[in-house]
Amino acid sequence: MGVLALIVINKAGGLIYNRTFGDGLNQLNTNDYLVLAGTFHGVHAITARLDPRKGLTNAQFQQQQAAANGGVAIPSRPEPSSGLEVLESENFRLQCFNTLTGTKFLLFTDTMQANVDVAMRKVYDLYSDYVMKNPFYQLEMPIRCESFDRKLNSYIREVNNSR
Amino acid sequence: MQVYSFYIFDRHTECIYSKSWFTPPPPASSSLTSPSTSRPQSQQPAPHASSVTSPPVASLVVAPPSAAALKRSKQKKDDDAKLIFGTVFSLRNMVRKLGGEDDAFIAYRTGQYKLHYYETPTNLRFALLTEPGALSMRNVLHQIYINLWVEYVVKNPLSPVEHKGGEGVRNEMFEMGLDKFIRGLM
Repeated sequence: MGVLALIVINKAGGLIYNRTFGDGLNQLNTNDYLVLAGTFHGVHAITARLDPRKGLTNAQFQQQQAAANGGVAIPSRPEPSSGLEVLESENFRLQCFNTLTGTKFLLFTDTMQANVDVAMRKVYDLYSDYVMKNPFYQLEMPIRCESFDRKLNSYIREVNNSR
Repeated sequence: MQVYSFYIFDRHTECIYSKSWFTPPPPASSSLTSPSTSRPQSQQPAPHASSVTSPPVASLVVAPPSAAALKRSKQKKDDDAKLIFGTVFSLRNMVRKLGGEDDAFIAYRTGQYKLHYYETPTNLRFALLTEPGALSMRNVLHQIYINLWVEYVVKNPLSPVEHKGGEGVRNEMFEMGLDKFIRGLM
């Protein structure tokens, strides 16, 4: 099995979409999924704050950049901390994509799955096409869009069968 | 490869050892900064807000960090350790819930750093922060446990069973061995 599950968390940490595609993960009840989404939201915020290099002031950062570029100072500011992007465990791998508006897409795959970035990108495309363009969808509310479900299912099946 | 820091937590969730190998470069004093900021304080016309806390005389000689500053950096270190513990604890529980009881949380990566995790059956937890591109350090943490922790802390007859406040962990052999081992990786 390639892709195991997809979870979408809104910017307040609430679970708005949850679907499993294989039996690689334990089945949880809805309440546990809600708790999981909230926990992950908080942990994601903490991991962004834990950056060991964040103590650098801007001047120090410029100096370091200049040293890295061979003494030429190119004005730039440090990348903002991104928070958790990939989590690895013995049985699965979790890729997190945080959109600019704070919605988080969590894609659970098995540890061997390649090109998760591409799959994530496609899932985000489907979300923008079939959820955001749905005039009846209310922002930040649970996603109940049949066409999104259908397209997502057929795409994930395609990914899982291509291996 | 760059290693940033290393933490050990005991089964009572207390941080019993932490070490950082990452030292921020000294404050910029070269021509890269604008001349107005590098001007000596004695030439400033009016007393600045910063000169209230440190008198201008002290700024000319290299003063050792004040007690307050030391306390603040220790506080920050303690807070970081607590945040790291909370993070690995939550993620470990999440992984076990989803992947089954036998699943183990190995590592997570952000754009800025990667945290490697290893837990012994006695709930002793090791966390290592490295640069994001680092390969799996699971065997490294395992080696630290086998070759350093067991050899120099557990087998030390003077070491207590519980390491409250880091007691028994901060011995010379363990610290030296750890430093040598980690510097060998960098």
